[in-house]
Formats: sequence, C-alpha cells, structure tokens
Amino acid sequence: MTTTPPIVSLRDVHKYYGTYHALRGIDLDIGAGEFFSLLGPSGCGKTTLLRTIAGFEDLSSGTLLLSGQDMAGVPANRRPTNMVFQSYAIFPHLSVAENVAFGLRRRSDLNRQAKAALVEDALDMVGLDGFGARAAHALSGGQRQRVALARALILKPKVLLLDEPLSALDKKLREQMQNELRRLQRHVGITFVLVTHDQEEALIMSDRIAVMFDGEIAQLADPQTLYRRPTSRQVADFIGVMNFLPASLTAGSTAASVEIAGLGRAAITPEQCPAGMPSGDCTIGIRPETMSILFDGEPAPARETSGQVHELAYYGDMTYYDIALDGVEKPVTLSMKNLVGRRVLERGETARISWDERALIAFAK
Amino acid sequence: MTGRGGWLRGYAVLYLLFLYAPIILLPIFAFNDSTIIAFPLSGFTTKWFTEIPNTPALVRSVQTSLIVAVTTAVLSTLLGICAARAGARYSFPFKTPVMGFIMLPLVLPEIIVAVSMLVVLMALDLPLGSWTVVLGHTLICTPFCIAILNSAFGNLDVSLEEAAFDLGESRWSTFRLITLPLVMPGIISALLISFTISLDEFIIAFFLTGTEPTLPVYLWGQLRFPQKIPVVMALGTILVALSVVLLTIAEIARRRGIARAGGKDTGGFL
Repeated sequence: MTTTPPIVSLRDVHKYYGTYHALRGIDLDIGAGEFFSLLGPSGCGKTTLLRTIAGFEDLSSGTLLLSGQDMAGVPANRRPTNMVFQSYAIFPHLSVAENVAFGLRRRSDLNRQAKAALVEDALDMVGLDGFGARAAHALSGGQRQRVALARALILKPKVLLLDEPLSALDKKLREQMQNELRRLQRHVGITFVLVTHDQEEALIMSDRIAVMFDGEIAQLADPQTLYRRPTSRQVADFIGVMNFLPASLTAGSTAASVEIAGLGRAAITPEQCPAGMPSGDCTIGIRPETMSILFDGEPAPARETSGQVHELAYYGDMTYYDIALDGVEKPVTLSMKNLVGRRVLERGETARISWDERALIAFAK
Repeated sequence: MTGRGGWLRGYAVLYLLFLYAPIILLPIFAFNDSTIIAFPLSGFTTKWFTEIPNTPALVRSVQTSLIVAVTTAVLSTLLGICAARAGARYSFPFKTPVMGFIMLPLVLPEIIVAVSMLVVLMALDLPLGSWTVVLGHTLICTPFCIAILNSAFGNLDVSLEEAAFDLGESRWSTFRLITLPLVMPGIISALLISFTISLDEFIIAFFLTGTEPTLPVYLWGQLRFPQKIPVVMALGTILVALSVVLLTIAEIARRRGIARAGGKDTGGFL
C-alpha cells in the first residue's frame, strides 16, 4: 500500500443532501490493482461514495484524487473510471456488440476493424464470444452483467466501479459470478471498487473492505482482520454472526482476566481488544464456529461449559444450535459440521460445550 | 355464455352502433348520387370526390389546416419533451404547482381559452392569422403531449443515461443516442395526438383565424348551403380513411419500438 501511490485518494470528504449529512468525513486510499469493497447496510452512504468517485455526485467538501489528479470540476465522462450499474444499464435498443463498443465511439484513432477486434476480445474475456449480434434485451441476467462488464472494461479504466452488481442474480449464479469477477480482476489488473451490502460477498472477493455505517467508515481492513478482529460491536454484528455475552474485566500486567456470564473465567490478551482494553463491565464476543458440542464423553480440547438446546436449524452441511447457558438471557448460537456418524441433537437436550479463550473478543460495554 | 352475457352483449352492440353509425353513414352518402342526405339511396357516384379539387376555397382550407396542424404538433411535442424531461429528471422549487399549471389547459374550457386569447391579441393590436391559431392550438395540445411523454420519460431508467455519460459521451450526445431513441414511440404518439387535436379543433380556430379559415371553420360556413353537403361527406370519408391509416402506422411504429427496447406492451391506441 505504501510503496505504490494510491489510485483513489479521498481526504475529509463530506456530502450533504440539503440538511442530510450523507458522507461524514471520509478518508480513504485505494491502491493500484486492489479489489476494494465498500460494505454496509442500505443508507450507509456506500453508493453515494461510489457515485462521488464516478463523478455523478459533487463533493460538499474535501478532495478526491484519481491517480494524483484533483477531480474537482471534472465530469463523469472525463474521469478515468467506468461503472457497472446495479441495473446493468444495458442499452436495450442496441445489439450486444454495439453496447460493448459504445465507449469506443469517440476513439478516432481506431478504425472499424480495430474496434471490432477490441469488442471481440472484451466479449471473449467475459465468456460471451459469439454473442455480439444478439439483441441486448434478449439476454439473461447473468449475460447482461457480463455485457456491462465488457462495456466498462473495454475502455481500460484506472478504476472500475461496481454498484451492487450481483444483487439481482439468484444464489447459484451469484456465487459463480463472484469467482469470475475475482478472476477477471486478477487478469486485467484494474482496481475494482465494489459496493455491496452482502458481507459474505465482500469477504470472498475483496483484498480490503471498508465497513460503513451512517456516512462514516467504521473499520477498514482485510477480510481476515475484519472477521477476527472487529473493532466495534456494530462491525462484529454486521460481519457474520457473533454472540455477545456480558462480562467484567480486570486488567493485569500482560493479560486481562474476564468473568464471562455463562462461560466462566478466562484470560485475554491486548490483541483480543481491537478497540483498546476496556475496564470493568464489558461485552465479550465469540463466533459460533469457535465453539463446539462435545459428544459421548469426548474430552474438551480447551474450556468447557454446558447448556440446553433451545432451538436448532439444520442446513444440510451444518447445524446451527441456539444453546441456553446458565445466567445468560439470550441463547448463544454455535455451528457444528454434520460429519459422518455425528448425531444432530434435539430440542431440550443438554449439551456439553467446548470453547476457546483465544477466540474471545472484548468490546466496551 | 348466453345467460348472463346476453344483456351486456346487447349493450356492447348498441354502444358500438352509437359510436360508429354516423361515421359509417359518411361514406354511404359520399357515394350517393343525390344532394339530399336521406334514404333511400338513389345511385352510385364518385362526382362528389372529383368536385373536391374543383372547390378552391375547400382546398385552401385543407392546406391551412394541415400547415396549422403540423406546426402545432411539432411545437407542442417539442415543448412537451422539454417539460416531461425536466419533470422526470430534475427537482426544482415549486415543481408540483408548476407542473400542475402546465397541465391546466387540459381541463380549461376551450371557449375561455379562445376568448381570452382574442382579448389579449386585440389589446396588443396583433393581426389574426394562421399563426394565432397555431398559438392557441399549441396551448391546448402541449398538456396532452406532456401527459404522453411523462410516461415515456418516466419509464426510462436513469442509469441508462448515466452509463452513456460515464462511457464518455456528452450530455447532448447521450440524449441523442440513448434518450431520444428510447422515448421515440412516445414522441410519435405525441405528434399524432396533437396533430389530430389541432386538425379538428373548431372553437379556438373560429375565434383566432384570420382571412384563411381552417377546415372545420370552412365546413361550418358551408353548412348553410345544403347542396355542398355531399362534398363535405366525401371529404369526411377521405379524412376518416386517412386517420385510420395514420393511427395504424403509429401503432405499428409504437409496437416495433417497444419490441426493440424489450419492454412490455401496456398501452397504445389499438
């Protein structure tokens, strides 16, 4: 990140719509060749931020640099960015080839054959070779998506902006396109900035993710850090599933000691407090997959507690259990792989539960 | 089928008769060899049709009407495009009342429009002529065009225009390459509707016309001479045939447009 200058650079960017404060001081650097995601719930400002980079929205204050150049007053049609829209915005009255070639209209340095060859290459790249003559409106959702990609990438933008590009696709196709997008990005080496509300999608595809709430970046990190070391309860809750348990913390010289409702006493290191070590009453977070049920006198690899199965959800490959622990109001969720020969517990059964103190994350109350 | 539907079927037949019987009488008497418009018919003739070009005043009024109608159609459609586009894409202060005021002539009695325009033109000491009729017709046709074009522009996905702009086109070329082709069926509809309204409009034309009457005004003047009525019938027959042809062309164009844009057919004339 520090070796190459950032492609996109935002400094103290604010955006107001009337009195509504949509972006509240965004500072962000996106590196060359990065797959970057803006992740957050609807209304958090992620799409506004993307449209700001594209040039569809003006900044109320702050600066935006693209490859070091100030973009103030530069309209969208003269920025080195291209966008893939949520609705794909395929021109319905043009053929697939005409859609893809649309951005080349102004390239007087290319003759007809050169343009046709570029269109051919672009369609080939997204797996639509031979589709050029098709009418755009006769395409399926996934094919429209590919045409939109080819149309944007043919201009070799410095940054490709993607506004929830997969949200209109069904689950299977979405998973397939996630892989393809990732592969395509590595292949072309262009910086991708993706807006999504789907945390799983962001984790799968991105090099780095900025989680946004209420017009601010709550945390900016790579997927693993984001998942394992969320700096706030809000981020932890938004990325995957996390159980929150009330606890009280006593700081020690190197590690702290916490008394956790339903689990008992444990030691945690400063690393497990990404937002800084709280003191006194705090909240402990623990992910479902870091806990497991112990079957038939199996010894606990780490720590052990027990509770009653309150509710369960069978997913085929996994079973999610809600376990009621003593002294905890809300049952904790844990997930078990449905391995060969492993029994699925029933509601009301008592379960022995193994947990690991290294998996704990401490948040301020 | 015959049980409950019987009444409604009878009603439907009566309703259609009421609508179309007068129009069906038009060609019947246009080919009838008698100046008296009454049954029984006395014989087949095409002389009323051949008399049309031999009535110079009639030919002139048709020319005047066509010029007025085409000019009105173009003007009100252009104004309609601007208003509908502004209404669909921009927000500005007092948008709702402004759009409401633009649509008001739709429900304003034409006699009021005609008299008040006449008063204003007289006060300004401006001469009456075809252009004043065009002015009046544009006033009443523009709301129809806006109503038609509003839905055309409203159905257009904003991101299509943004995508074209993002791909390097200017605002104007985006409009020309993307917006215009996609709203073209609406534009054709607007042109046709305003043309038709202007062609048969009587009250405003009657008040504001100068020395060159439009066709409806001329026809009204001719009703005092019964021997001219068969010629009027012949002309009416031609106009009906022409309208059917025009509407058919417009509908074909509209369906092609929708098919090309991949949309779903949800309206139209026919």
